[in-house]
Amino acid sequence: MANLIFYLMAALAVVAALGVVAARNPIMSILALLGSFFALAAIYLVSGFQTLAALQILVYAGAILVLFLFVIMLLNLANETKLERIDLAMFHGRKAVWTFLIAGALLGISAFAALAIVPAAGDAPALPERGIDELQPLADAMFSRYLLPFELVSVLLLATAVAVLVLAKRNRGPLNLDQGGEST
Amino acid sequence: MSVPPSHIFLLAALLFAIGAAGFFLRRNVIVVLMCIELMLNAANLTFLAASRMHTLAHGARPDLQGPIFAIFVIVIAAVEAAVGLALVIALYRNKQTVSLDDVADLKD
Repeated sequence: MANLIFYLMAALAVVAALGVVAARNPIMSILALLGSFFALAAIYLVSGFQTLAALQILVYAGAILVLFLFVIMLLNLANETKLERIDLAMFHGRKAVWTFLIAGALLGISAFAALAIVPAAGDAPALPERGIDELQPLADAMFSRYLLPFELVSVLLLATAVAVLVLAKRNRGPLNLDQGGEST
Repeated sequence: MSVPPSHIFLLAALLFAIGAAGFFLRRNVIVVLMCIELMLNAANLTFLAASRMHTLAHGARPDLQGPIFAIFVIVIAAVEAAVGLALVIALYRNKQTVSLDDVADLKD
């Protein structure tokens, strides 16, 4: 049963990923990406990673995709979608040939690695009773052994917040200091 | 679930290749960013598949390195999306476009 769910969700994830690349409208791309993320969350769940499945839905589907949706709605790209010519010409041409060569090489190398190097496990895996990433051991590891990367990542988040503020600020030319009085 | 680990790795490879192809093919910056998210997800799946493989190999003793790295990858993905989308907004404000063909100034 769990095997069936895995293969169904794997097929759904791949189809949805193809939809992200092929969809003409960016909003359809976002919806396809949402489907891919949910399929991956289901795969995490049946693989024994319940915490990561929850994080996947909370952070990826809940936060990151909403951010993408916000930007698309904010920019009002309704007429912008016509600009992108997704026809068969996109899949010919030199760039497309190189793209398929590179992607195919990536796929070939990793498929070879997966099939030839990864040892085949026994057919009756015994996973831990309560999943691999139980929350308490995960938190213990995160705040003891991996404390330094955790702190570094928090600094990175702070730097990102500042960077995003600077980037998205409306550029008003030279700083005008006496503007505050008349705006109130 | 008794899926062999190599099948999970294959799925991750497939997702990564699709994301990479979309990254090179598409011209809309927002869709390009989405393809990057797809590739980061494939990397996450690889970490978790490796963690599952090691857990199975060591007699069901949980291997936590994979999940922890996956969490860090999720944080990096969020950071990348935020900065990338801020760049998109700045680009749209200056050039009224999100098409990569219109901003290929450095290529000439």
